[in-house]
Amino acid sequence: MSKCDQFRELIEAYALGALDAEERAALEAHLASGCQDCAKAVEEARWVVSQLGYLAPEAQPSELLKGRLMQTVRNEARGSQGSQKPRGEIPFWMWAGVAALLLVTLYSVRVTLQLQKDIEIANQRAGEVLQQRRELEAQLQLAKREARIMTDPKSKKFMMPAKDSQMPQLEAMWHPELGICVMGDKMPMPSANHVFQLWLIPKIPGSKPMPMQTFWPDADGKLVRIVENTPEPMWNTKAIAITEEPEGGSLQPTSEPMWVGGVS
Amino acid sequence: MSRDAMLVHQLLQRDVDAFEQLYDRHSRIVYALVLRIVQQASTAEEVVQDVFLQLWRNARQYDARRGPFAPWLMTLARNRALDHLRLKSERQRRREDQSEEFLPVMSVPQFEQALDEKRRAEQVRALMGSLNAQQKKAIELAYFEGLSHSEIAAALKEPLGTVKSWIRNGLLRLKEGLRAAT
Repeated sequence: MSKCDQFRELIEAYALGALDAEERAALEAHLASGCQDCAKAVEEARWVVSQLGYLAPEAQPSELLKGRLMQTVRNEARGSQGSQKPRGEIPFWMWAGVAALLLVTLYSVRVTLQLQKDIEIANQRAGEVLQQRRELEAQLQLAKREARIMTDPKSKKFMMPAKDSQMPQLEAMWHPELGICVMGDKMPMPSANHVFQLWLIPKIPGSKPMPMQTFWPDADGKLVRIVENTPEPMWNTKAIAITEEPEGGSLQPTSEPMWVGGVS
Repeated sequence: MSRDAMLVHQLLQRDVDAFEQLYDRHSRIVYALVLRIVQQASTAEEVVQDVFLQLWRNARQYDARRGPFAPWLMTLARNRALDHLRLKSERQRRREDQSEEFLPVMSVPQFEQALDEKRRAEQVRALMGSLNAQQKKAIELAYFEGLSHSEIAAALKEPLGTVKSWIRNGLLRLKEGLRAAT
């Protein structure tokens, strides 16, 4: 069996992202050496792997998502008219970086092959705690994001008083990169078959409110909701509002805001 | 030039109608794929939003000479969804190493044709259904959960070599099956 044949056996798993570190490093070093046959085989394997997406059960995103996307895209298209600049070629320093990465990869191959046996044993043990770690990581990342939004000096804090004086006041922090964190205690539950929905109110006169997430407070009335990927920047937003909407959310508000907070 | 490639080209001129057409043509399969990975509708919508905004803002990342648009977009969506699952874990670093930088490099074999989405889904499901249950499970753990050979072997309590063979042979069989179906 030639060296190239050995690598051919790894190509499908490589395209799938299933190779363990040492095998992946070895194959990447081989590809970096310029083997055109293997490079072509990787390209074909990637196409085959992409077809696995059709195994997912059929599902359809909400109209809310399309509305939100189209509003963002229209705003950006208006904002970018006449201001687009062509991107330049890849600078020399980036190619130098690639060359340095290649050298590091080749070195890694040598080191990782020596550690192969130990890694396989460690990987088997890691599999037993995999699921638990994934859950903890997800919780940790959420908590970290929340903590960063709460403590980063770039975050802007604003209150969201309730229209009804019997309702609690909410608090929001908006970080320009991390998103918005809305918090509150003793929140009531929305009425039957309804949810609360968050809205961004753009500054541009005549613009419609932008629909965001729907949510419920937890059983104790506590609310901590993080909105990532806000479609509008903070400077372009006048206020954040919360309304009660039918389950599934609405493209435009169907009720008066219950909480409103001025952003700027 | 395919219809999708023309629409992506129009995105470079900030054509909102072209974006809407691309969304209508592909959002269902992208959403279904992402939802299968992240298992939560609200998270899936966030990831899908992220994917389509990346398409809108960086349309030049897609190179029509390298292959058709739909597989490229599905690969982008899968990587985004897995990144969302794994965040900053070791496996995410592995994914980043071989995801976006290599995304454009995906050629289509000669047998690729413009099959409609429904027919292609039926073909892929039928071909995967012909594999044995453990083999299919191994491929799904890798594709939808981003697990490595070793992790799959541990999860299924099967020898590492067996898992490697299952995955390779399964994907080769899928490739041959798609070739034979066209």
